[in-house]
Amino acid sequence: MKDFLRTLKRSKWGYIFVAPWIVGFLVFSVYPLWLGIKMTFLNYNLVAPQSIKFIGFQNWINGFTDPLFWKSLVNILYNQAIFIILTFFIALLVAYLLFKISNGNKFWNAFFRSAYFVPTITSVVVVMLVLGNITAPYGPIQTLLVKWHILTQPIVWNLTPILIMPVIAVITSWMSFGIQAIILLGGMGTIPTEFTEAARIDGAKEGTIFWRIIFPLLRPQIVFIMVMNAIGGLQMFTQVYVNFGVTGGPDQAGMTPVLYIYSEGLSKFQMGYSSTLGFILSILIIIATVATLKVLQERS
Amino acid sequence: MLKQERNERTRAYIFLSIGLIITLYPFVLMVMSSFMTPSQLLNNPSMIIPMPWTWSGYTGLFKDLNILLLFKNTIIIAGSVTLLNLFFDSLAAFALAKLKFPGKNALFGFMLFTLMIPGVLFFIPTYTMLYNWGWVNHYRALIIPSFVQFYSIFLMKQFMEQIPDEVIEAARIDGASDPVIYARIIVPMSIPVMATIAILTFMGAWNDFFGPLLYLRSPSMWTVQLGLQMFSSTIPGQNIQVLWAGEVVITLPILIVFLFLQKYFIRAFTNVSFK
Repeated sequence: MKDFLRTLKRSKWGYIFVAPWIVGFLVFSVYPLWLGIKMTFLNYNLVAPQSIKFIGFQNWINGFTDPLFWKSLVNILYNQAIFIILTFFIALLVAYLLFKISNGNKFWNAFFRSAYFVPTITSVVVVMLVLGNITAPYGPIQTLLVKWHILTQPIVWNLTPILIMPVIAVITSWMSFGIQAIILLGGMGTIPTEFTEAARIDGAKEGTIFWRIIFPLLRPQIVFIMVMNAIGGLQMFTQVYVNFGVTGGPDQAGMTPVLYIYSEGLSKFQMGYSSTLGFILSILIIIATVATLKVLQERS
Repeated sequence: MLKQERNERTRAYIFLSIGLIITLYPFVLMVMSSFMTPSQLLNNPSMIIPMPWTWSGYTGLFKDLNILLLFKNTIIIAGSVTLLNLFFDSLAAFALAKLKFPGKNALFGFMLFTLMIPGVLFFIPTYTMLYNWGWVNHYRALIIPSFVQFYSIFLMKQFMEQIPDEVIEAARIDGASDPVIYARIIVPMSIPVMATIAILTFMGAWNDFFGPLLYLRSPSMWTVQLGLQMFSSTIPGQNIQVLWAGEVVITLPILIVFLFLQKYFIRAFTNVSFK
């Protein structure tokens, strides 16, 4: 007992210093989580709290059978399939090019690194407004394509259901490849030069050196990027909200799960139902994250 | 051998320059468009040079967008979040990196685990909770829930672990208590990582759209991102140049900070990995 008290006294400050995080976690994570679990069993209209009713698993049943929720999941998977592949290969190429010049002129090295990073620090709202304008039917790109007779007439992508998610994926890609490139470049910097030099002396081609030696050694960074994709990408909101508001665009082709949860919760005030959808989406995201970790780490 | 290396480097420079044009073109267009007249914006979208130049986009910011108020609101929110995080994150990071207390490793493991929980899980319940507390349409709804963040604690902890134990032990022998060690040794030696966290946290709050959209109702409380989005969705075609000017001025502060402190930004992302 005396020992215990002495340990406690000596560790006093340690506990005090981590206490804010613990308090914050209890108040803003654990308590809402408990509240959220309760809400999934309630018919709870935020602006009419007197009508709260216990409805058992009805929210869960509705959630799993809600065609619009599943459509929003298909939409986001369509978007992410394009986004993840496109962004990763562009980032890999840019990282490799930056790696090539990393022994050269210091100024240009820093210049290129920073310049490619700039889209990452721009807000999603500004990116969507600017790139939305650039890709618009009478924006600069389509005007030129029409002038050069590559297009017969301008394409209104945000009214063409099949094109909405791919275009948003390309725009998001433009915004994110810089940060992925910097992460991959960090990994390339840790590879001992003897590895690549030895292969070069043995007469290995550049492509072989890259895919056989450098690429496999980037696994920790690739896992990090893909896990962040799985967690962040599936929760896309601002990109579609800026373009379509809560409606999700024509044929709801721009509806994402978080946008749907937002519209159920903040437009229709169905807190019980939107909370349930949040749980279902979170479970799917956790499964995707764990699967990503499993698949990418197993091959080592 | 050397010549081949130089050739490869030249080729890399060429490819990087081409990529750079695609990367920076939207910014050039944004700045140029903000100086154009509405008629040029509508009739000559592919022309990049303003003819004639006009400042009406920028003067319109004060009239149509109330830009000073948006800046003030955003600085209050982002500044508060940044200061709170610098203090509370560094305290926790110090405890996890340098102090001994039972349960420390279990706590840290648990904190790491919380990184895997998707934020959308808390979205509706937290909104409901803050709504019932009457926090909607108050700055505190955006400040208090993010006063401490694990990812920043994690980055700070990694940095503080490199501070030699001998320095801390020497201070302890001289009779310094843990708070004194924190204030006199840990904080001064952690300035680089504190700068990194300050930039990332401020930028995150400045660029945030979702939080302000959820909690800020009256236009007098809007932040730059929310204000600009609201403006863009109601804009009459007449003064579209104001929208472009708005995009420029809300991007500029972050860009300037980035240009001065780029090595801190980039450092934050060069050492991340999952083992």
